[in-house]
Amino acid sequence: MDGEKKTYGGCEGPDAVYVKLILSDGHEFIVKKERALTSGTIKAMLSGPGQFAEKEADEVHFREIPSHVLSKVYALCMYFMYKVCYTNSSTEIPEFPVAPEIALELLMAANFLDC
Amino acid sequence: MESEPLLLAELKPGRPHQFDWKSSCETWSVAFSPDGSWFAWSQGHCIVKLIPWPLEEQFIPKGFEAKSRSSKNETKGRGSPKEKTLDCGQIVWGLAFSPWPSPPSRKLWARHHPQVPDVSCLVLATGLNDGQIKIWEVQTGLLLLNLSGHQDVVRDLSFTPSGSLILVSASRDKTLRIWDLNKHGKQIQVLSGHLQWVYCCSISPDCSMLCSAAGEKSVFLWSMRSYTLIRKLEGHQSSVVSCDFSPDSALLVTASYDTNVIMWDPYTGERLRSLHHTQVDPAMDDSDVHISSLRSVCFSPEGLYLATVADDRLLRIWALELKTPIAFAPMTNGLCCTFFPHGGVIATGTRDGHVQFWTAPRVLSSLKHLCRKALRSFLTTYQVLALPIPKKMKEFLTYRTF
Repeated sequence: MDGEKKTYGGCEGPDAVYVKLILSDGHEFIVKKERALTSGTIKAMLSGPGQFAEKEADEVHFREIPSHVLSKVYALCMYFMYKVCYTNSSTEIPEFPVAPEIALELLMAANFLDC
Repeated sequence: MESEPLLLAELKPGRPHQFDWKSSCETWSVAFSPDGSWFAWSQGHCIVKLIPWPLEEQFIPKGFEAKSRSSKNETKGRGSPKEKTLDCGQIVWGLAFSPWPSPPSRKLWARHHPQVPDVSCLVLATGLNDGQIKIWEVQTGLLLLNLSGHQDVVRDLSFTPSGSLILVSASRDKTLRIWDLNKHGKQIQVLSGHLQWVYCCSISPDCSMLCSAAGEKSVFLWSMRSYTLIRKLEGHQSSVVSCDFSPDSALLVTASYDTNVIMWDPYTGERLRSLHHTQVDPAMDDSDVHISSLRSVCFSPEGLYLATVADDRLLRIWALELKTPIAFAPMTNGLCCTFFPHGGVIATGTRDGHVQFWTAPRVLSSLKHLCRKALRSFLTTYQVLALPIPKKMKEFLTYRTF
């Protein structure tokens, strides 16, 4: 997966900072930090006091998320983009489609990430 | 919630060319076509107006800065050439658009059955005073079919969302009827059981259930596969006049003259919550509580809000998880309401034949809710309860918690 095939209305800034999301089997996702902060959990992991080792590097390790949730992480990143793009605009918000076959596991991830 | 609903535009009927004392001027129904390209409104005096959506620029000030009801925002019946006026010959009570665009299988079917009137186009069904139902082609305004069978006012109509061109009608003759527009509008079933006027009908978006509600305070749920009664929902204290399913078919809301909207789980019949319509400024005595009779309730397209119209002259917006409305807008003599299918606008109709368009809350659904909606579009409550997931997740998925 190369991340961002579809963009939402050209809302990327020129000096974007990235974070790396590392799954339990070593797969890595590189996402713009602004969008990853959509997740309250990631935000806490990146800025909270010392419990999480990720505070220094811009990396977040998800030890609980197993590899079969990979495709759902992609959907998550798409959702982050969607949310950031439409939160601060006044245009009509299009529907964000969720494929039924990933919906249950995506829900678990969304619940964990509080988004 | 950021702000109260703002009035975007108001449309008034043009002066009728012949004032008929027997016809009335109420707007009993308003409807948007499922793809959002048309708006229909029974503007009284037997006329239905069909207007393309979005409305022409001149009727909506830029940037939604509408003030209430300035003369710039009105149209008196003249308008774009694409507007259609349908003269139904008698009072129009119910309106429903067919789903459009029709699925590819439907177009294939129409090609192989050229002798059937071509209803593989966008059609509007109109429910009339004497029990007839007229089916009109929207693009041309031509009358396609006349369905006879009901013995009294056809108060509400509903097409199956799947595009199969099955139409359900609800009537004061206490029956609902099922019509097949693929077969020249043949009546294929009569649903009996209600004891008083049937006020409304609604088909669940997954096409599995039909809800009907009547004067005897009960709400019936029917199977759309076998056309048999599944269950009766008891709880309202007066006539039940409006009903709507959530977009994922997981919730049913019903509105009554008893001032309440009840939210139900249609699969189990459980009452999930009641939304009480009490006065914003309580009267000095108790005599006015009854004037909060509900007229209409509808779900927003993403399934997180409800709009209600009541006799206490208020349009209310409710967020599902809260017990009190999040916003109010004053409207007199409201009778009906509906959301624009892509969100952002609510249309209301009144006793004097006017329609208004209001701003609706702009919603960015959480990913949790989007997943819930995707799952509940094909899972019943019982299937959810059987999933190997934590209890809290089941409660969320079945809308016991939000």
